Amino acid sequence: MPSLYLLISRNRSCGPNDPPGGRVKFLPLLWSGLWRKPTRTALTLLSIVVAFVLFGILSGIDAGFEHALSTSRLDRLFTDSRFGAPMNISYAEQIARVPGVALVAPRRGLYGYYQDPKNGMGVICIDERFFSLRPEIIITKAQLATLRATRTGALVDVYLKNKYGWKIGDKIPLQTETPQVDGNKTWTFDVVGIVDDANYPGQAGWFFGNYEYLDEASATGKGTIDRFLVRIKDPDRAALIGRQIDKLFASSAAPTRTSSEKSRSQAGLQFIGDVRLFTHAIVGAVFFMLLFVTGNTILQSIRERVPEFAVLKTSGFTDNAVLWLVIAEAVLLCLMAAVIGLALAKVAIPITRPAIEDFVFLLQTGWADVLRGFGLALVVAVLSSLYPAWRVRRLSIVEALSRH
Amino acid sequence: MNAIRQIVVVTMIGLRALPQRLGASLVVVVGMAGVVAVTVSILSLSTGFMRTIHNSGRADRVIVMSHNAQYEFGSSITRENALAIADAPGLKLATDGKPIASAEALTSIVVTKKSNGLDFNMVLRGLGPEGLALRPEIRLISGRMYRPATHELIAGKSAQSEFEGLDVGNKVSLPDGDWTVTGNFETGGSGLESEMLGDSETLLSGMRANAFKSMTVMLDRPGDFNRFKAALSGNPALLVDAIPESEYLANQAKQLNGFLTVVAYLVGGIMGLGALFGALNTLYSAVSTRSVEIATLRVFGFGAAAILISVLAEALLLSLLGAAIGAGVAWCAFNGNLHAAGSLVFRLTVTPALMGEGIGLACGLGMVGGLLPAVRAARVPVAVALRA
Repeated sequence: MPSLYLLISRNRSCGPNDPPGGRVKFLPLLWSGLWRKPTRTALTLLSIVVAFVLFGILSGIDAGFEHALSTSRLDRLFTDSRFGAPMNISYAEQIARVPGVALVAPRRGLYGYYQDPKNGMGVICIDERFFSLRPEIIITKAQLATLRATRTGALVDVYLKNKYGWKIGDKIPLQTETPQVDGNKTWTFDVVGIVDDANYPGQAGWFFGNYEYLDEASATGKGTIDRFLVRIKDPDRAALIGRQIDKLFASSAAPTRTSSEKSRSQAGLQFIGDVRLFTHAIVGAVFFMLLFVTGNTILQSIRERVPEFAVLKTSGFTDNAVLWLVIAEAVLLCLMAAVIGLALAKVAIPITRPAIEDFVFLLQTGWADVLRGFGLALVVAVLSSLYPAWRVRRLSIVEALSRH
Repeated sequence: MNAIRQIVVVTMIGLRALPQRLGASLVVVVGMAGVVAVTVSILSLSTGFMRTIHNSGRADRVIVMSHNAQYEFGSSITRENALAIADAPGLKLATDGKPIASAEALTSIVVTKKSNGLDFNMVLRGLGPEGLALRPEIRLISGRMYRPATHELIAGKSAQSEFEGLDVGNKVSLPDGDWTVTGNFETGGSGLESEMLGDSETLLSGMRANAFKSMTVMLDRPGDFNRFKAALSGNPALLVDAIPESEYLANQAKQLNGFLTVVAYLVGGIMGLGALFGALNTLYSAVSTRSVEIATLRVFGFGAAAILISVLAEALLLSLLGAAIGAGVAWCAFNGNLHAAGSLVFRLTVTPALMGEGIGLACGLGMVGGLLPAVRAARVPVAVALRA
């Protein structure tokens, strides 16, 4: 206990008229109390750090899930072929005439792989309208003009550029199952620009080509479309407009199925939503465990320091001051751990990403989680130190000192 | 005193004093319970998922798709191809003498989930005439079998229980009109229970399509696979890949299973680390409160090894207790729960092996967490401890 006595005696020299106790510098006292048994404090700190690393990473999954849902728009409908039969491009005009429809963009996909069947690639073949419907794609007017002026041109995004080392001017051969007019199933694209997705910077994997190239060069499926993107004016009428569009083609060769991007995402993410229930349960379990760990450490610590607290009270610390001292110690411990843990999680998330390649969109980091983390740290600190602090508050000086 | 008796005596002394260190000991128990409960629960997701996938696959069934197709919907098998594949050697013959091979047409039907009203795509699979001989696991549980050349289909048990409108007598809308659900079937927990089945020719004409998606055949023996495969690659008219069904399904499941496994071990590992620190803390403090007692024992002639092992035993016992609670919680809360990934329905499965894995993990953590404090206990300097 030398540090404590030292602190008090050093501060005794401040002046005879100062109120006792108040002269002791609070922070050094806090710090020396906290590190009284360095091993114990370090181990406790590490346990809490670990909990916050986990909280940070699982919040990343949460944030990714919310992000995927929030970037899916209710005013963007997808019209797909209901049974897989190719839809005619003339559907676009019919869809555009449905009341409430603002804009229609047709697209046709060309699916294949680059070099190895494992490198699956979908080329979205489009015209100008597509980018009005997907404003999240960061593209300049010049890039779009170059694409449209280059028949075999392609715009790839930052993710693909980084993954395969592509650059402007590269020729990209893709092996597909779609034969060209001359029977060749290898399609070659010229990279004319690099774009990105504002919702998933560097993570999306877009590969755009010209619709005309695919339509004219492919031996089959001329004039067909596999998806229409539809912008509607009033998101509240998404379901109604979807039904109206589907009614147009109900008895045609290629009936359609139209629904909003949002409802597609909800269905697509439902399983992940279930997983998310798990992650919430985990965070709950972890912090429950943490209350035990921290609470136990603080209890042990104050038990050993009973005479010290008695001395503090003797030297003028009020009951409430020692109560706050104990709580502040816990808060300091938990906040330090939260800072370290959340920082580690921020570092860990990019490292974890490659391991779950296809679910990578699910790990996002946001500052809201950090704030929530600090909030949680405060809650854990207060809950776990309340009982020990109360015991210290009730400590009677005479009893405490006579025991030792 | 012999060594084993020493160990037993010292351990018992330590354990009898446990109630006095209840709070600290609870840290270990709760910590291990948490680790095991969480790891086992997440792994039960992937175990259940993989079990459903494995139930579906048989080594003597082979799926044939067009070259480099990664999944059935991306494949196309013409009628000529289908005839050539059925002619290949190594196929099992049905009672009528025809090779057991089914050229299958596939389409997806939009179905609405009962629990949340969301739309999902469900597979409607058109089976060839030998399709039922190929899949002897199909058993009707209600209604009757579909008849070929009619607009009839049967729906799997999971499909029917989780999604709307798939009971016997319900209609399913297809391009050529409504098809009637005539029966529901089960297969003993395979992925097929999340599909609908009908006749392939009727489905093809209904889809106005001319080519099948895939072909599944049954081999005489699993060992015939290479012969069958060689015959296909030797035929210049065929540009197809043959993959054993079990392998194909495992490939399909890899993505999701990989994700779940990473999550389970990542989360479990991190929590394990936390629990390890907690255990270290508890046992260090246990050793330090017992230092006088330990020193006294040493004076009486108890060996350092006995002290060391007794601390380890205490760590192990607390970990085991926690692990058992954790595994039990996971089993009670999740075993048998139904889950759906898209339209594939599966049951969470907490197997004894999985619980064993969790308990093993906790014991490992307990041993590591107990080791350093145990060494400290064994090294308690007798004179210093007794003077304190």
